[in-house]
Order: sequence, then structure tokens, then C-alpha cells
Amino acid sequence: MSLLELKNVSKIYGELKALDNVNIHVDQGEWVAIMGPSGSGKSTMMNIIGCMDKPTKGEVLLDGTDISKLPSKRLTDIRRDKIGLVFQQFHMVNYLTAVENVMVSQYYHSMPDEEEALEALGRVGLRERARHLPSQLSGGEQQRVCVARALINHPELILADEPTGNLDEANENIVLDLFAQLHKEGTTLIVVTHDPEVAEAAQRTIVLEHGRVAREVINENFGKQ
Amino acid sequence: MTKRRMFLRMITASLLRRRSRMLIALLSIGIGATILAGLVTIYVDVPRQMGAQFRSYGANMILQPTEAGALTEESLQDILSVFSPEELVGATPYRYVRLDMTSRQQSFNTAGTDFSQVVKTSPYFSVEGAYPASTREVLVGKEVAETIGVKPGSTMELTYQPSVSISNNPQDDRTPGAQLSGSAEGWSGGIVYVSAVLDDQAKIASIQIDAHSQTPEFGGRATEDEEFAAQFIGKALPLTLGQEVDALSGATVTSTAVVDALNNARKATPAALPHTLNFTVTGILTTGGKEEGFAFISLADMESLTGESKLDVAELSISANAEQLDTYVNEITEKNQGVAAKLAKRVAKSEAAVLSKLQALVFLVTAVVLLLTMICVSTTMMAVVSERRREIGLRKALGASDGSIRAEFLGEGMFLGGLGGIMGALLGFVFAQVVSVNVFGSSITFQPLLLPITVIVSMIIAAVSCLLPIKRAVAIDPALVLKGE
Ligand SMILES: Nc1ncnc2c1ncn2[C@@H]1O[C@H](COP(=O)(O)OP(=O)(O)O)[C@@H](O)[C@H]1O
Ligand SMILES: [Mg+2]
Repeated sequence: MSLLELKNVSKIYGELKALDNVNIHVDQGEWVAIMGPSGSGKSTMMNIIGCMDKPTKGEVLLDGTDISKLPSKRLTDIRRDKIGLVFQQFHMVNYLTAVENVMVSQYYHSMPDEEEALEALGRVGLRERARHLPSQLSGGEQQRVCVARALINHPELILADEPTGNLDEANENIVLDLFAQLHKEGTTLIVVTHDPEVAEAAQRTIVLEHGRVAREVINENFGKQ
Repeated sequence: MTKRRMFLRMITASLLRRRSRMLIALLSIGIGATILAGLVTIYVDVPRQMGAQFRSYGANMILQPTEAGALTEESLQDILSVFSPEELVGATPYRYVRLDMTSRQQSFNTAGTDFSQVVKTSPYFSVEGAYPASTREVLVGKEVAETIGVKPGSTMELTYQPSVSISNNPQDDRTPGAQLSGSAEGWSGGIVYVSAVLDDQAKIASIQIDAHSQTPEFGGRATEDEEFAAQFIGKALPLTLGQEVDALSGATVTSTAVVDALNNARKATPAALPHTLNFTVTGILTTGGKEEGFAFISLADMESLTGESKLDVAELSISANAEQLDTYVNEITEKNQGVAAKLAKRVAKSEAAVLSKLQALVFLVTAVVLLLTMICVSTTMMAVVSERRREIGLRKALGASDGSIRAEFLGEGMFLGGLGGIMGALLGFVFAQVVSVNVFGSSITFQPLLLPITVIVSMIIAAVSCLLPIKRAVAIDPALVLKGE
């Protein structure tokens, strides 16, 4: 069953076509990697899927709803209810502790629940560091907090834009293991990456070039490692 | 955990963990609230202060005898009975007479008065030393004190020179039974006064000499020396010193003056003699006004000197509004024939004018201060918003609605407003107290209502100041912030 479908989506900035007639289709529970050189439109696409931007042309069907023409208030509701975001920069609220950062996501979604937030931190191996401020955490630890924050509301779709771009090997593996777990639980994952190793962990890789889908590669080895 | 608790937790964390920036906002609100609370306190207190000030700024009603009438201490007490004791702040009687200080050849206006009332109707009188507390004590105006060279503790004499009507007809002089009065210059310019009564043969029957202006050990003795005076009895005018009468030993100049005064003497009726009393200076008066050219003694002493107990004017300080004062003026004028009441209009009218001007000024300053505070808080919050762009974008990406962003910033702003308000109410009271003590010379009581009012106004100001920054915050695009800046 398809969760996401992009039909002839274009995003045009003046002369520049950041996305040029893109057609993509992602199934419920699928784990997809997006690759492509810098400036090829990966982040632009993620922003559109993540309900933070609208395409200039085309349709974006998320769970059967066309989100390409919705007012921003409705987009916020959909983003809050269905999507978990992980960014390349470990965006945390710098004056809130790790657990409070996770709870912010709960706060906007439904009800803050400290126990549940601590459990989510436990899942990313940071239960002991729950009371630490971002400045007291390493980059890898901060990114793990962001993953915990993204999964706390059990979103249908997790969008990660270069989540391992600034991480060392060990933390990269922890994050990939978490994605694998989420995938097993049925969460749909779309991960933008430069790193072929990260792309290989996914079921399918979509390659963008100059705002167009250049090719799609099915990972034959998926689940065999 | 409820949403509300999380909301408060986020706000307090933001304020506590981002201290330096928030301190600036808090400080600007706090200072604004301080000035607000201070000025409002003064604003509320000004009428009270000014009322007391104006009342204490002297008399607002004047009583004077009409041309045919008279004012005495008794009739004054009579008139004062129309006022209730609370209304009557003070009533000061004055009797003005020009007295001489012959030893310094000076004369100046002297007021007989009641010092216990002067303090009440002329509180702005500034006295170096003390007010006279008993008879034979004098308060000297600064100008007079400088001319005659006296200080508190000095002694001085004051002489009442009765006005003497001198006959213009030379034929009247030296006629039998004439009363004569004359003066002549004695030692170093001092005037010697002599009066004499002629018998039925136009010879001197009695003589009185006033040589107070002369050196006491020498010429001054002429006043008291009976032997010297006795020589003149039975003699006819004119006289020559060294022939009919001999000079007082060691006082030839004064003796010559006495003889000259007699020879110059004209017929005077009635010939009351000058009367002199000795006084101790208790204080020097500074007012910056005409009072500095006066000396002040008790009414009792004035009576002793002049032998009269009338009053020239009474200054009243009444605690009442302009309307009531008018009613009193009419009442007094109707009831007491011989005494006219009038308002000291300048003070009574200007009271209201100055008051409203002062309040308008305080109001204006308060408005300006509030505006400045708003600009300051708004600027700080604007800086806070741009400093927290990424965080706001992140919150929006996490699903924060525009309403939540508004609520969070408004919450922070109002929290600061409340805290600054409490700070301001307390500091403002101290500020108002300092101003009041220095400007009005009296302290003010803490108005309990000031605390909630200041806090609420500060919160409103903080909220209004946050409107523009919040608009900025809401406009932040989550996509741009997260795109990798
Ligand atoms: N807001 C924007 N205004 C103008 N050009 C933009 C904007 N956002 C992205 N672009 C341009 O669109 C192209 C695609 O950008 P992006 O999606 O960020 O690429 P990627 O994430 O693949 O590196 C780039 O050439 C970029 O400069
Ligand atoms: Mg990118």
C-alpha cells in the first residue's frame, strides 16, 4: 500500500528548478534512501514531503491526502501527527535537557509524559544522560536524542536529512541500528545521505541529479547482513 | 505531566538557563516599573503633598480693620470662632510700628506679633537661632541685622518715638504753658531729644532729655543726670551754655546739643516722650522677601512701647477650598463691622493651577517612560527572537502551531513583566520616598494597591512590547531554518 506519492512535482526558484518533474512512490513500511550530489534537490524534496514547503507544481499524496495545496496550518497538523524529523545538524533546544527536548515533541503532539520520554532515551542508550543539557552531550549523543524525539510520537513516516553526516563510525552504527528497529516495527523511513554505506542499509535507493530522478536501485542484499 | 506544567517548565528553563539575555529584558522592565510605580505614587501623593504644602505656604486669608473700624486681639479671637479648630491652621496678628535704634541712628519697621502663630502661617520663615520665646526678645530680619550688626545673643534697644504734632505758628512757641519739643545733633552725629513744659511766665517748668544716642559714660548721662536737668528749671529761653547753664562734665558736645535742642524747640502737642526697651536678639530671619527688612517682637512688648493694643492686620491660614474660603470671607465681612476679610488670592488660586500642571507633568513623564520601556523591551525581545530563530524553526518543525509560539513568547514576556513589576513596585516606592523627602520634605506611606497595579501594568507593557517580536517569531519558516544554515 502506498504511503507517499509524488506526481510530476517541481519546485522552481526563479530560473532554477530545484525539483524538475519528480515522480516518486513510497510504500507503507518501506525504507528508502535518497542520494545525489550537493544541490540536486534532496533537502528541497524532504521539506516538501515533511510539510514544511509546498511544490510549485505537481501533487504530493501523503496517506491519500494531497498536501501540495494545503494551508500551512493544516500542514503543521499533518507534520505533527504523522512525521518524525531528524536533521543533519543536531537541532536541539539548547536550554532544555535531553529528556525535556524529547518532551517538547510530546507537548506539541499530545501530552508530555516524562516516563515515556525517558524510555525513548533508553532506546537510544541515553537514559543516564537524560538530565544533561545539549552542551554537555557529544554530537553523536545529540543526534541520538533527536532520533528519540523523532520516534516518541510513533510517527508513520520518519524523514532523516543526512542524519549521520557529522557522526563517527560508532554513532553512525547506533543510529542505523535504530532505523533498522523502527523499520521492523513498521515505520516508513526516508533517509537522505551522501554515504553509500548508509544507503545500502535501506531497501531502495533513489538517486537525484539536477532536480530529476536519475535512477532507482533496489538493494538486493537488504536484510542479509 | 500536564501541558500547563510543561509550558511553565519550558518558560522557566528559558529564563533561568539563558540568564544574561533575560536579565537585560528584566532590567529594562524593572527600571520602567520602578519609575512607573514611583511616579504613580508621587502622582497620587502630589495633591496631598501639595495641599499641605500650599496650606503651609502661608496665609490664605487677611483680616484688616476698615477705615472707621479697629482690630484688637479680643475682636480677632471673636472672628476666629467661625472656624472649626481643624480648619484653622494658624492666625497671626501683626502691629506694625517704625521704631528707632538710636544708638545706631537707625530706624526700621517693627512688627509686634505672636510667634507661636508665625510658625504656622509662615512656615517658610527660616530662622538662624530661635524664635523669641518671651518678652524683651527680638527676631531681626537679615537685612536689618546686617545694617545694625547684631547676631543671636546680641542686645539692642528699641525706641518708640511718638508722632508729635509740631505747631507751624512761631507765635505759639515760648508762650506761657507751651509744651516744647526739639532735637539737635550731638556727639558724632547722634540726635539728642529734649522736651520741656513752660510755666505761666514762659519759664521752664520741667524738662526731659533723651541722650540715648550719646556715649553712655559721657553724654549719655544727660538722660538721667538730675543735677544737670535741674539747672534748666526757672530759666527763660533762649539759653547759652556756660552762662545760664553749665555743661555736664566731660560731655560738652552733648550739653551743647541739649541747649541747642531747647533753643530750636517748637510748640508740640501732645508731647509724649519716646519710650525705650532693651531686647536680646534670639534669631536672624531669612525669607528672601521684605520681611528681612523688619524686626519682630512680642505684642506685649509692642504694647509696652506704644501704650496701644491695636492690630494692623491678621494673617490667617485656613484649611479649606476656594469656595469655602469665599463663604467665610462674606460671613466675616457681614458679621464684624470694622473688620474686612479678603483672600490672599495669589496662593489660593495658583494652588489648583500648579497642582494640575504638576500632575500633567508627572503624567507626561510616566507616559514617556512607559513608551521608552516598551521600546527597550521590544528591542530586547526582538534580539531574543533573532537569536532563537533556529529554536523557533525547530519548534515549528516539531509541530508547534503559531498559537503555541505566541503563547510561549507571551508567557516569557509576561513572566518577565510580573517579576519586573514586583521589583519595580518595591524599588519605585523607595524612589518615590526619596523624591518626596527631598522635594516635599515629608514621607509617604506604602499604598498596598501599588503592588498589584504595577505588576499588572508591567505585564501588560511586556505583553504589548512582545507583539512585534512575536509576529517575527511566527513568520519564521521552519524549512529555511532547517535547510542547513
Ligand atoms: N529558498 C531557496 N531559494 C532559492 N534557491 C534555493 C532555495 N532552497 C534551495 N535552493 C536551491 O535549490 C537547489 C537544491 O537545493 P537543496 O534541495 O538544498 O539541495 P541538496 O539538499 O540536494 O544539497 C540548490 O541549487 C539550492 O541553491
Ligand atoms: Mg541538503
